[in-house]
Amino acid sequence: MLESLKGMMLTLASTVTGLRRPVTQQYPKQATPVKPRFMGFPALTWDGEISEPYCTGCMVCIRNCPTQCMSASMMDNPKHADGDSSRRKIVDYFEINLNRCILCGICVEYCNFDAIVMSHEHEMSTYARNGDRVDLPALLEIGKKYQEATDWIPPTVLAKQKADAAKSAAGEPAEASGG
Amino acid sequence: MSTQPDTLPDIQADRADAQPVEMLLNMGPQHPSTHGVFRMVLWVDGEKVVDVEPHIGYLHRGSEKLCEGEQYHQIVTLFDRMDYIGNFNNELAYCMAVEKLMGLEVPERAEYIRVILCELNRVASHLLYVGTMGLDAGAMTPVMFSFRGRERVQALFEAVSGARMMHNYFRIGGLKEDVPDNFRELMDELMPILREDVEQSDRILTFNEIFLSRLKDVSPITANEAIAFGLTGPMLRACGYEYDVRKAQPYSVYDRFDFEVPVGLDGDCWDRHWVRVQEMYQSLRIVEQAMEQLPDGPVASPLGRRLIRPPAGEAYVRAENPRGEIGVYLVSDGTDKPYRLKVRPPSFCNLSALRRLLVDTWLADSVVVLGSLDIVLGEVDR
Amino acid sequence: MSFLISVAWSALGLAVMFAVLSVVVLSMVWLERKALGRLQLRYGPTRTGKFGLLQPVADAIKLIVKEDIIPNDSEKAIFWVAPVIVVVSAFVIWVTIPGGDSVVIKHLPLGLFYIIAFAVIGILGLVLAGWGSANKYGIMGGLRSAAQLISYEIPVVLVAAAVAILAQSLDMREIVAAQSAYPYLVVLPLGLVIFFIAGLAEVGRTPFDIYHAESEVVGGPFVEYSGAHWSVFFLAEYINTFAIAALTALLFLGGWGGPALPDVVWFLFKTYAVVLVVFWVRGTFPRLRIDQLMAFAWKVMVPLSFYTVIIAAVYRFYDLPWWSLTILSLAGLAAAGWIIYRRMTAPARRVIQIQERLAAQRGAAPSPRT
Repeated sequence: MLESLKGMMLTLASTVTGLRRPVTQQYPKQATPVKPRFMGFPALTWDGEISEPYCTGCMVCIRNCPTQCMSASMMDNPKHADGDSSRRKIVDYFEINLNRCILCGICVEYCNFDAIVMSHEHEMSTYARNGDRVDLPALLEIGKKYQEATDWIPPTVLAKQKADAAKSAAGEPAEASGG
Repeated sequence: MSTQPDTLPDIQADRADAQPVEMLLNMGPQHPSTHGVFRMVLWVDGEKVVDVEPHIGYLHRGSEKLCEGEQYHQIVTLFDRMDYIGNFNNELAYCMAVEKLMGLEVPERAEYIRVILCELNRVASHLLYVGTMGLDAGAMTPVMFSFRGRERVQALFEAVSGARMMHNYFRIGGLKEDVPDNFRELMDELMPILREDVEQSDRILTFNEIFLSRLKDVSPITANEAIAFGLTGPMLRACGYEYDVRKAQPYSVYDRFDFEVPVGLDGDCWDRHWVRVQEMYQSLRIVEQAMEQLPDGPVASPLGRRLIRPPAGEAYVRAENPRGEIGVYLVSDGTDKPYRLKVRPPSFCNLSALRRLLVDTWLADSVVVLGSLDIVLGEVDR
Repeated sequence: MSFLISVAWSALGLAVMFAVLSVVVLSMVWLERKALGRLQLRYGPTRTGKFGLLQPVADAIKLIVKEDIIPNDSEKAIFWVAPVIVVVSAFVIWVTIPGGDSVVIKHLPLGLFYIIAFAVIGILGLVLAGWGSANKYGIMGGLRSAAQLISYEIPVVLVAAAVAILAQSLDMREIVAAQSAYPYLVVLPLGLVIFFIAGLAEVGRTPFDIYHAESEVVGGPFVEYSGAHWSVFFLAEYINTFAIAALTALLFLGGWGGPALPDVVWFLFKTYAVVLVVFWVRGTFPRLRIDQLMAFAWKVMVPLSFYTVIIAAVYRFYDLPWWSLTILSLAGLAAAGWIIYRRMTAPARRVIQIQERLAAQRGAAPSPRT
């Protein structure tokens, strides 16, 4: 009987803690914040400087996708011909079937051009079975939203910055000892 | 039913000796307490279970066959989805198999982070078990208490790996990326609260008189029988047999931690419950020690993004999952895809004892026994 | 003429009772969802109206609008009539349960007898519902309900008899009047505990929700019911819960007696307090198994209720001072609690002891692995 009474006291106490420190989040009203690393649906990034996508349509993500949920094709970049862009090829067509995507993030890991990101988008329900097939403009739209929300810096640039910072921090004594 | 086609096996014929008082009760796959899509065909005499025939395969996705068509780095995602309650533990078992075949050395920091995440995953998995066990026994509240703790663990997983359940975070030879910079603060914040949550979900259920009377002396099994059935994990330890892969054949860096292997006594449902609850405390101990010892250094795989082609050969690796011993048998023919990958899923092997455990119990016990097996159908059916 | 007036009054009273009980049920649904939510670290309903106050109304509308499915294989007549039996028996006992000194539809001198007699009829409805719905889970649940409710009827009746012995009357008004000095809670705590526990079993609430156990028989007798038919069962369940709470308040907590406030307010206050305890118990405990339930009824509840009757009779016969009854009652309670404690937790404590001994051994001789 003692343990039962203890249990009853615990539930009674939980009404008080529940009032003081509620763990429920009123989801649709009160958006649940996602962590910085949250992997939502994949999206394509937009190079604001040249105003074209980072993606060159090289298809490495498609080859590495476990579910084959993407398809893409590349074309010659007209901006490269004009001399505005260093990208010789550019994505022509890109489609992801987000209903098939398993949000594993392998595409992001294998992309050589910082062109694809796991966005923070996760509220994309549709009524149709294949209602979440998104094409290039839509992917770029999600990507732009993500870039703006997180002040996105391309991972390769970020890695370079980090390496430079580490070098400059550790560099001077190393140079002094070397010299 | 007369509409049944002749090709279906006639279940009535299986028990031609059935007594007229017996009733065939079809429990599942749409039953609230069959844990997913498991189906039991029960023969009941009043409230007593006379015989049981389990039906599995409703969640069969052919994971093992799919593995043969995927490259090595893609298979991690498939392992996430086998035991979808203990994702990290599954990823670890697979990665260790490939690493063993390739003779890879994993960076020490990566090993520690793996252990921390796996043990937290074990706590989360056992918390889920405690909650669903409460539901099976008819208590509504424990599930809320334990999901609160599980939710916190999952929030940490999200901060580390970017996903709450299907992490895809372990890589062959290391990790996808290092933990976030504020990992230590997150852990310092999480651990005391998590311990409190575990204690509360323990206190509300484990020694409750009604819960005890429901679980104690229900379907006991001896250690010899349990070994004969191939039971592992808490199912075996509840019989008093101290066998834990983490101790018996330490993998990763488990030999560096001081922890106990809780064992039960009678091998009944309550002992299984008690062993799991105690394991949560031990897992928390391991996590605390690992956080103290956590070294600096690289975590990324030395392979980088290179295509993984293990040498031709085979490797078998076992690891202690929350549900028992997982075994991964990997055969490579030297290409970028495995020739064959066989998983020894703990839930499936534990489920094999179902008939032995259920016959001659009460109908209400069948739910509790199934709950105490703690099966995950994603792993049983694969 | 006077007969006609009396009939008219009764009809009016019944209509008022129906309206009041409907409001009570709505309030209890809201209270239960809110209380359970709080016990479980949740908010409970929040979206429909302020504090989710309109949630039960929304639930009721949904249930009535839903399609009412009748299985092909069911016995149509029985399937249809079973909810009616349950709900009528639930309503009918309220005819004589007083909510205050004069707040009663029909005052009966044998009120307690009437209530107990009519409360049993609901079981018939449950068994019929289980049988008529042509579902194995339904049959299971129906038979479970028959076994359970009949077993627990005995302690309820015996404890009510003990109270009647103390008050020397079966008249609800006189039972309450007899508690004006001190409520029977003080002299007969054992009776209160038995009555409350057996009452929980009577209305099938956790830990005795065995006949409609969600995780075992998936709703039991109600498994095939939907829409308005199901809502009728739901209604009856809540009215019965309220009735048990009201009877607990009337028999043991002094009824509507209390200072300052009007008697109906006191009655409602005490009843809702008991109802909250019912919800609290529901938010804490697991469910018993059917054999344990029956064993508990016949091995614990029935002997204890006999003991209650005997000590009440002895007290009355020898005209003992009132505290002697309290002592006798508490002694019975303590004995029962001790036996339950020993019987149920002994095996678990054995496991802990052995575990501790093993740990001590390991501490003495550290294992080679660590």
